[in-house]
Amino acid sequence: MSVATADAISAPEYRAAGTDLSERRRSGLSCGAVIDLTASPDTIGIAWGADGAARIGALTAIAAIASDARLAQAYPGITAAAQGLATPQIRHMATLGGNLAQRSRCWYFRNPQIACLKKGGTDCPARAGNHLYHVAFDLGPCVAPHPSTMAMALLAYDAKVTTDRRSGLSITDLLGDGSNGAADNLLAPGERIERIELPAPLAGERALYKRAISRSYAEWPLVEICVRAVISGGTFQQVHIAAGGIAPVPLRLTASAAALEGKPANAATIAQAAAPAASGAKPLPMTGYKLELLTGLVRDVVERIAL
Amino acid sequence: MTTTTVNGRVESLPDDPDALLIDIVRDQLKLTGTKLVCGAGVCGACTVLVDGAPVASCLMPAQAAAGKAVTTVEGIGAVRLHPVQKAFMAHDALQCGFCTPGFIVEATAFCDSWRATRGAAVPSREEIGAALSGHLCRCGAYDSIFRAVADACAGRFDGDNVTAPRIEARDKVTGAAKYTVDINHDGQLEGLILRSREAHARITALDLAAARALAGVTAVSLLGDDKIVRYVGEPIAAVAAPDRKSALAALVAIKLTSERLPAVVGLDAGRKDDAPVVFDKASRKRAGNVSEAAGGPAPWKQNIRGPTAVFSTRAKKARNWVDEARQANNALLVEATFRTATQQHACLEPHAAVARFDGDRLTLHASTQQVFHLKEQIAKRYKLDHDKVRVIAEHVGGGFGSKASLGTETIAAIELAREAKAPVRVAYDRQEELSVAGYRPAAELKVALLPSEQGGLKALSVTAHADTGAATNSTIAGLARLIYPAEAKDLSDFDVISNLPPGAAFRGPGGPPMAFAVEQAIDEAALRLNVDPIALRKRWDPDPNRQRLYDWASGLEIWRNRKPSQNGRYRRGIGMATGYWLYLWQPNVKVEVAVKGGRIVASTATQDIGTGTRSVLADTIAREFDLEPSDIDVRIGDSSLPEGPGSGGSRVTASVMPPTLQAVRKLKAAMLEQATRKPAPGSNAPWRELIARSPDIAVVETRGEDGKNTAPGVRSPLREVGLIGMVFGWMMRRFSNIAVGAGVPSSVQVIEVEVDTWLGHVRVLNVHTGIAVGKIAAPALARSQACGAVIQGLGYALYEARELDPKTGDVLTAGMEDYRIPGIADTPEIDVHFDEAGFDHVLGNSVGIGEASTVPTSAAVANAIHNAIGVRLTEIPIRPDRIVEALKGRDAA
Repeated sequence: MSVATADAISAPEYRAAGTDLSERRRSGLSCGAVIDLTASPDTIGIAWGADGAARIGALTAIAAIASDARLAQAYPGITAAAQGLATPQIRHMATLGGNLAQRSRCWYFRNPQIACLKKGGTDCPARAGNHLYHVAFDLGPCVAPHPSTMAMALLAYDAKVTTDRRSGLSITDLLGDGSNGAADNLLAPGERIERIELPAPLAGERALYKRAISRSYAEWPLVEICVRAVISGGTFQQVHIAAGGIAPVPLRLTASAAALEGKPANAATIAQAAAPAASGAKPLPMTGYKLELLTGLVRDVVERIAL
Repeated sequence: MTTTTVNGRVESLPDDPDALLIDIVRDQLKLTGTKLVCGAGVCGACTVLVDGAPVASCLMPAQAAAGKAVTTVEGIGAVRLHPVQKAFMAHDALQCGFCTPGFIVEATAFCDSWRATRGAAVPSREEIGAALSGHLCRCGAYDSIFRAVADACAGRFDGDNVTAPRIEARDKVTGAAKYTVDINHDGQLEGLILRSREAHARITALDLAAARALAGVTAVSLLGDDKIVRYVGEPIAAVAAPDRKSALAALVAIKLTSERLPAVVGLDAGRKDDAPVVFDKASRKRAGNVSEAAGGPAPWKQNIRGPTAVFSTRAKKARNWVDEARQANNALLVEATFRTATQQHACLEPHAAVARFDGDRLTLHASTQQVFHLKEQIAKRYKLDHDKVRVIAEHVGGGFGSKASLGTETIAAIELAREAKAPVRVAYDRQEELSVAGYRPAAELKVALLPSEQGGLKALSVTAHADTGAATNSTIAGLARLIYPAEAKDLSDFDVISNLPPGAAFRGPGGPPMAFAVEQAIDEAALRLNVDPIALRKRWDPDPNRQRLYDWASGLEIWRNRKPSQNGRYRRGIGMATGYWLYLWQPNVKVEVAVKGGRIVASTATQDIGTGTRSVLADTIAREFDLEPSDIDVRIGDSSLPEGPGSGGSRVTASVMPPTLQAVRKLKAAMLEQATRKPAPGSNAPWRELIARSPDIAVVETRGEDGKNTAPGVRSPLREVGLIGMVFGWMMRRFSNIAVGAGVPSSVQVIEVEVDTWLGHVRVLNVHTGIAVGKIAAPALARSQACGAVIQGLGYALYEARELDPKTGDVLTAGMEDYRIPGIADTPEIDVHFDEAGFDHVLGNSVGIGEASTVPTSAAVANAIHNAIGVRLTEIPIRPDRIVEALKGRDAA
């Protein structure tokens, strides 16, 4: 048994389903007060606006999102991401808000005996240590990739977040740009996510989600992407690509999207547009492979959408 | 006060916000079918239904179940077994059984909802794999789980009849089977271990007073007399308290001061000349052992112990020939360096012990592979009479070699229980299990293989450096002596000691890394010689068991249709490899077969770690008496029974079968002699009648030597290598109580993979595993073992690696999400072929299957990948990062 020797997190923490927090409580990583969130009609379930836009309560279970037929019709990238994360048992429990506000899965962060930036430490032990599963876009002092698959998918959809204090936050407003290594999100102390608003889907848009992992299921993504595209007259019209597992925050792959828009939807265009997915990357010594996976994944998913 | 309903009964919930649902189920309600394994929602062993939905009870706050209905595994089969439970029993979809309750709960929910919406349709492998993706089974029972779930969904198990090839299966599918972690005596304390934070340090002061001052707390020191800790996680002290929370508080109260010493971590750093020395000469006996038997003498300088090169033959010649061939640019010379990763046993039941003293009598429940030998070790260490120590292991949740010693969990439990005068349980948490509970050491293997001009094998050179941590005695290269005879062999093994936890024996110690390197070198030689790889092995490997397996393998359609490497995104390839293990048995093993109260009872102090020992005994005896296995009572898992074998070295079956058969023969004679009334003439169950009427008779027989007459070519592999082999064999028997028999248990595997060159993903499509371990004693269970061995081998080949912080040696993969074992959806179609000849000289004709069956898998996968993409992967695990790296800059798909 280990005794937490690094700075544990002693601030109060909200608990939705506890799928992240319970493990950190057991290991001694979280030792402050626990405030259980209780659902209200406003914070659970899926509501629809007259324009066809959905609003999802933060305490809605991932499994409920994954199995919602209307959501799958309007926002297939969201439901596919929900289907692709964690395990069936976790998806039954875990909530959308909890997924967005979960803490890092970095193996240094999760070890209660090792100090790190996210636990009040002064440097990132993964950077000089073993960062096999860490970022390939080195955007800040902490090199752990952001763990939220739902945040990545919501970024592809330009979703807005409403908290108990603020509304209209973009995913970038919520999670930052990766330069703050001490936090996994920019929520103020005591602030909590209440719901997510999705813009109405584009006419005729298609979307897919996929993660690259070593086994078949139940693994944190090495790289994951969500692609939305409108293809008409054989040409890519609008393309949105978001990627996770590669940076301290989910990223939009704007260069690849731009390389597709206005071009014919064929294999040659797609192959050409995949390479710029890695533009701006700064891989660590052990994470160069993630760029190969990223370009492979862009090519794979865009092909599936278009061809 | 809030309440929840568990299996139909209203139960109160505690107010403690940190109480989890699993605590209520296991500790408050004593429903121990639900298992705690990963504590992180990864493995699914703790799965229960909440309002019908499967959830991870290890993460769910207890209060979240308020007002809801919870169903545990005990609630599922309470009235009548669910079809899924019957299907699991019938298909033998389980081995050690520790993951089984979680699988049962999830599969029943899946099956019920499937049948409600899909009727009698049969779910596909893909659908079952996705539904059960939140469950892990370390034994690798997945192949049978697929079949069980499909058949249950199809309504094939709706009737009341159920037969199970594994006699304890019902206990395992209902959650009734008790493991060490489930033992709960009155007044039992919970023990925890304080472990070193430093990779290398001298403990200058250890003050337990503040911990002992806490109410109900006992504390003992576990420090060695040199007060030096040599790895992060080395035990320092242990505490016991009424519950885990107070034990944690007691750990925090221990005051420790230490002086940090320079540390060295891993295979490369450990070999440097200026590396800090881990064991000075005086402390070398503290090093652990990574093999199944005790080691011989070897040179030991700084952190490098070796070379152990006793299995070389004409080593200098081999080196010279290789040098000459290299200088001559001989195109046939195959040279490569291979690296294998550290593989964790990752037993789902952690190392655990519960010690209880009644006066001067010690009863120890332990998750162990050796109840009898553990009793002897404890008696010796604590100077107790052998009849005052009793070790019990009714069920063991996996071992794989890691539970074959007197470990810290046992020492701590005994010493705390003695001090506290109360029963104490010590059960490792997952971080301990995946860091300090043993592992198969990583290794670097340099191989040179030189065919002769006539197409024979001229020279083989293997130099292995094993990353043994605070342990020694790795044999990897040496194993290359007992296969592929050559004109000369240069085989050297080195242990590289560093400030890492000690490695341990792991299923065929040294075998899989040797095969990964040598079998790829053979494959490469076949390519260069332009010979079919199976044909080359048939030429170079005269072992009669493997000759028959080569004939089987070369006849497989998949092999005959093999194609060269391809282009395109997805590329398929087929590879094969060979493996073997020694046929080992344990002298002095005794089995009692008795008739008691009209039933047959077999007793021996061995244990079942999931391998099926109970059924091997029951099936064997049932055949002899023409009874059903369920007619036989098998008593094992208790050191007070006649001396039985340890579950290591694949030795149980070969150790217990002969004395069992001898005892049966004598018992039959005694029963006939004492029978007052002979069976009715023409009775179709004469023995059943005799047994029912027989007075109580017990016969104890001891394992004798094997017959001398063996089939042509069947000899002891050690004898075959001459004097040194005989000395080695004598040492094994003298110091490790293991005899090496004649004949070589062998496995030949043919594997098909598909490589996704874009995403670096390797999918294993088909595995054909041919196994020669003599007559199969319990066929369904042997098949389970064969499949599980392949699945563990696939984990070794593709996913599993311990990752460390390179400076401190902290194990970063200390949770099940980061230490990646295969899941059900990663399981290929597995075809098992048993060749049952080769062991006629053994009474019963059966030897063990556990190790031989896992040795070739990683090499066969690597050879298949080479066949698919034309690149040889020399380092495992072959993860996506390694595939895309290997293909980088090559022909784009």
